[in-house]
Amino acid sequence: MKLAIALVAALAFAALPLMTSSNYIIGVGISALIFTVAAAALNLIYGFTGLLSFAQLGFWGIGGYVTALTVVTFGGNFWWGVLWAALINAVVALAIGYPTLRTNRHAFVIMTLTFALLVTLIARDWVDLTRGPLGIPNLPKPSAFGYHFGTTGQYYWVAWAFSVAMLGFLYALCSSRIGRTLVAIKQNEPLVRAQGIAPMPYKLSAFAISAAVTGAAGGVFTFHLGIIDPLFLDFYYMQTFLIIVIIGGAGSFWGVIAAGIALSALPEVLRFSADFRMIIYGVILVVAMFVMPTGVAGWLRERQLARMREQLR
Amino acid sequence: MSAILQVTELRKSYAGVHALDGVSLAVEAGSITGLIGPNGSGKSTAIDCISGFQKLDGGKVVLAGNDITGQPAHHIARAGLMRTFQTVRIYERLSLRDNLAIAAQQFDPATWLDEFLRTRRYRQAVDKAEVRARELVELIGLKRYWEIETGILSYGQKKLVALAAALMPHPKIVVLDEPVAGVNPTRIREIEVALAELNRAGETFLIVEHNVEFITNLCHRVIVLDQGKKLAEGTAAEIHTDARVLEAYLGMTPEMAEAEMRGAA
Repeated sequence: MKLAIALVAALAFAALPLMTSSNYIIGVGISALIFTVAAAALNLIYGFTGLLSFAQLGFWGIGGYVTALTVVTFGGNFWWGVLWAALINAVVALAIGYPTLRTNRHAFVIMTLTFALLVTLIARDWVDLTRGPLGIPNLPKPSAFGYHFGTTGQYYWVAWAFSVAMLGFLYALCSSRIGRTLVAIKQNEPLVRAQGIAPMPYKLSAFAISAAVTGAAGGVFTFHLGIIDPLFLDFYYMQTFLIIVIIGGAGSFWGVIAAGIALSALPEVLRFSADFRMIIYGVILVVAMFVMPTGVAGWLRERQLARMREQLR
Repeated sequence: MSAILQVTELRKSYAGVHALDGVSLAVEAGSITGLIGPNGSGKSTAIDCISGFQKLDGGKVVLAGNDITGQPAHHIARAGLMRTFQTVRIYERLSLRDNLAIAAQQFDPATWLDEFLRTRRYRQAVDKAEVRARELVELIGLKRYWEIETGILSYGQKKLVALAAALMPHPKIVVLDEPVAGVNPTRIREIEVALAELNRAGETFLIVEHNVEFITNLCHRVIVLDQGKKLAEGTAAEIHTDARVLEAYLGMTPEMAEAEMRGAA
């Protein structure tokens, strides 16, 4: 049922450029798709595994820069750039995750935050590589099999195909026994160990996969913007991913997907009131958290549980 | 002697205090062995050291001929020692079914790739575990909660879930840390019956517990710890008349204990 709805929704999304010629609306569509992928990746490490990672912002930035540099500096094409973005991020995640995951969850949060800030500094100050605050402009839109995804409408298909593939992969992972083990680790790590399961390989893999997907998403988003500069590491992105996960319901795959689409569209829908737009957005978030502290998915689950309790009485 | 678990000269101290001061004990295959002692006598420390949840300072732990001394907890579990915890540990936000399935998953041959692709090997392993899980759920009498999140169960029921989970992978020995503490008396009786039945089917238990009646009814052998040392060992009847045990554990003289037993009977 959920899969059928997802399939219909995915096809409906594919048709967006056929329904409008507005680059603005299509641009919002691209943001919605890419942000949802990044949020789903954050959900894997935070919602499922219970590790709040601010490193996602760093991975997002590294992904953007690696893809851009692959094309502009190293003469590769966009597709290789995205692949490199994923691979390099996975390696970086393993390197910082191996020592960091040995500490406790609070130390993990601090160290991932520090990592994100460090990446921001590198983007700004390693001028020889990143051109510093000037950034790297005029990123060329990619081609494949002789077809050039030159316009925003055409590039939308790239973002769409990428998102469907990544979300499909993450769904297969989260709904598998591996996903269930991650949830078990989040809920009760000593019990997991008492049952013969070593938590470290699970946590480390979840972190690396989450990093790879976020990095690739950053790469695809950079080429939508057509420029990368240190603003690509603005905390705005991290905050957006986190809000999507929390409002959708950390640990719920579909809740986060729905929230990703809805919350990416929301600030745009509110544009009727340019002055109060972000205030209204904030109020909606606060109210949502008051009414549903565990997110939309968590709220639905509580209701379902309440019904079950009633039946058992 | 066919001891499935052989512990020799276990030592552990915290900041100079000897929690365990050279404790040796053995658990016979197919037996129920009780480990009792006053608070702070080192019972919990002993099973934490045996199961790999605490580093030991000295001594040796041998499980079915394998030296498992100082190994990490997950290795010891894989070697065949499953344990429960004093404050009940289960996955409260997962169904009873998932709780039991996870407990067995490390013991089947499915790899991550099998799990991700849902291969035949994975599905067979899952089916096999499911059969075992249904048997155990039947035994602990929680069949109607099969698909339900275990968080809504009562404390006693949660202890039963933890027990069933520990039994899932057919372990060589099950170590129970206070299985009936905080459980209401009728439920205690049920747990007692279930454990006796499992023991008849061949399961080996090491039980840490304060409830003397429970220990007396179930255990073939009882080991008494006091201040990190083994104070006495024997059958429940022998322990009951041991002057040192009564003194340390119950703060009674043998005469008082006898009077109480007569009173209870």
